[in-house]
Amino acid sequence: MSTQHSKAAKEFLKNQQYAHWHDATFWAVRTKRDNMAYGLDEWEQLREKASAIKRHTITHLDEYLDQFATAAEKNGVEVHWAKDAQEFNEIVYGILKNHNVKKMVKSKSMLTEECGMNPYLESKGIEVVETDLGERIIQLKGQAPSHIVMPAIHLNHDDVGELFEEKGISNEKGNHDPTFLTYRARLSLRNEFLTADAGMTGANFGIAETGDIVVCTNEGNADMSTSCPRLHIAAIGLEKIIPNYECLAVFQRMLCRAGTGQPTTTYTSHFRKARPTAHHMHIVLVDNGRSEWIGNPEHWESLKCIRCGSCMNTCPVYRRSGGYSYSYFIPGPIGINLGMLRDPQKHSGNVSACTLCLSCQTVCPVKLNLGDQIYQWRQQLDDLGTANPEKKMMCKGMSMLYGSPGLYNFGTGLAHWANYIPSPLMNCGLNPWAEGHKMMEFPKKPFHEMIKDYE
Amino acid sequence: MSSKEDILKKYRANVHERYDMPDLSDIKAVTYPDPLLQFMNMTKSVGGNAIEVEKGRDVNELIRELYPDAKEIASNLPEITIATRNPDDVGRARDLNGTDVGVVRGEFGVAENACVWIPQTMKEKAVMFISENLVILLPKSQIVNNMHEAYKHLSAPGGSPAGSTDDSAFDAYGYGTFISGPSKTADIAQVLVMGAQAARSATVLLLDE
Repeated sequence: MSTQHSKAAKEFLKNQQYAHWHDATFWAVRTKRDNMAYGLDEWEQLREKASAIKRHTITHLDEYLDQFATAAEKNGVEVHWAKDAQEFNEIVYGILKNHNVKKMVKSKSMLTEECGMNPYLESKGIEVVETDLGERIIQLKGQAPSHIVMPAIHLNHDDVGELFEEKGISNEKGNHDPTFLTYRARLSLRNEFLTADAGMTGANFGIAETGDIVVCTNEGNADMSTSCPRLHIAAIGLEKIIPNYECLAVFQRMLCRAGTGQPTTTYTSHFRKARPTAHHMHIVLVDNGRSEWIGNPEHWESLKCIRCGSCMNTCPVYRRSGGYSYSYFIPGPIGINLGMLRDPQKHSGNVSACTLCLSCQTVCPVKLNLGDQIYQWRQQLDDLGTANPEKKMMCKGMSMLYGSPGLYNFGTGLAHWANYIPSPLMNCGLNPWAEGHKMMEFPKKPFHEMIKDYE
Repeated sequence: MSSKEDILKKYRANVHERYDMPDLSDIKAVTYPDPLLQFMNMTKSVGGNAIEVEKGRDVNELIRELYPDAKEIASNLPEITIATRNPDDVGRARDLNGTDVGVVRGEFGVAENACVWIPQTMKEKAVMFISENLVILLPKSQIVNNMHEAYKHLSAPGGSPAGSTDDSAFDAYGYGTFISGPSKTADIAQVLVMGAQAARSATVLLLDE
């Protein structure tokens, strides 16, 4: 009766030592987040405001998008609109082709991941170099991110050291010290920054009033990606637009505190115009499902997400199963919800990756009701035709049992005889309960009988 | 129909209830009895360095003392007489590669997180990132408590806290950044390393002017 997620998680858990490290590492990040949150008296007030700003903004996106595009165009920026992933990829390729770009450096963007941009551009002969260290590592490894903020968290320093040796980035065999490896990556990426023809960034926020896009990084790679190449393209999802600086202050204060437990990212960069020595700056606004999701009465609020990653850091299931156990490219509670909005047939297996502990919505800086939404998705599985047949049969059986007191009392009265069934027969593959659990011992008397003794 | 019209039309057809903008004027944001002290402590905790410069002290001498091995120093600030490169004059941004120390001017600092607002006031902003070490000159009177105050100053015409400088620079070049400490990463096994892709150290010189 395992879902796709639990089958994949079994693979992850084979390496117990690593699984334990993964769990402890994310719990440490969660603790750092708590220290930040408790350090500010206004934290809960900020969450309220952040949630309300997002609710307002994503239900007035038509106005704010128009305002944003007008302001950006006034700044001399070329604004493009992409309905879907394909149109986005074509627009980006068109711009690169016009400028005869052979190599593009880029900073981390979940949106380009969502649109499958890198493989598309590579198929057209353009070299794309990821410049966030974690993203670069998994790009060299040919893998997808396993976390939205810490994409290479599934690899340890030996994995990275061996990879760098193989790719010629590291010249000292066996030196897998993270400081050394980071330095070698710095040298290698520095060369890429200097020789690329274009730089691409995502955007954490777009400011409707000024037309700025705001990019937050710790490495400074978004700034490096746009400092030397003569072309800057920014990719931004529609829901990232916010009204003004007053709102930005609320989100800037929360994004990093919630995500990594730092008081701020090292760089909070505002891009308003192209560099004086560069070509026009381009912004591509991407819909790719968002204008449809806003109409979903139960799940439209998923568009509030600011992609801080705090829901996955705290999630007991994510911490113990890793990013690759989920079928959608964004894992954890927000990924479960976004995957269901994207393609419920394909991603239904993820909704079981939740204990409904609701830790995610307790930490979410924009008060997204992630766990409640997962519960609601589960109610729809039967209609979607993706309910697990064994679980469905079990539910039918349970409603029959609990619906008839006579049958229920008869059953619980006899249950203790099950204690005499030899263990190999009980704890076997035919009994799904026995998987990962020890079979419980049934009491001699059912609860209804026991309670009578105390009356 | 253009994609823009298509997208907006679809959005308008699908959006149901529209919510009001909340009042943000009642946010009770953190303030500090001594914002300068908080700023300096915070700078250290994010891996940077903050030094109060005595009145009359020559910053050129101080920078020399801090970076005795520095050969290439890049700045377009008139008071930085030890500069060997000028980000206004380089042929290409990449010519700034190999800079040991870049010196730039910050407009104001933020006590809660050690951010310093640095609008682009040079032709090539690369100097802020490509330099191995970054030195930021900041008037020590210009420290605000938190990001709400910071963005209030940036939205107001006339710019920074005491109104001593204006923000036309940001609008002229169209780029500005808050920098808090040196470039850093923990992408390899969650071990914190200073000096990822940009400056490996960041020093804020707090000036008495």
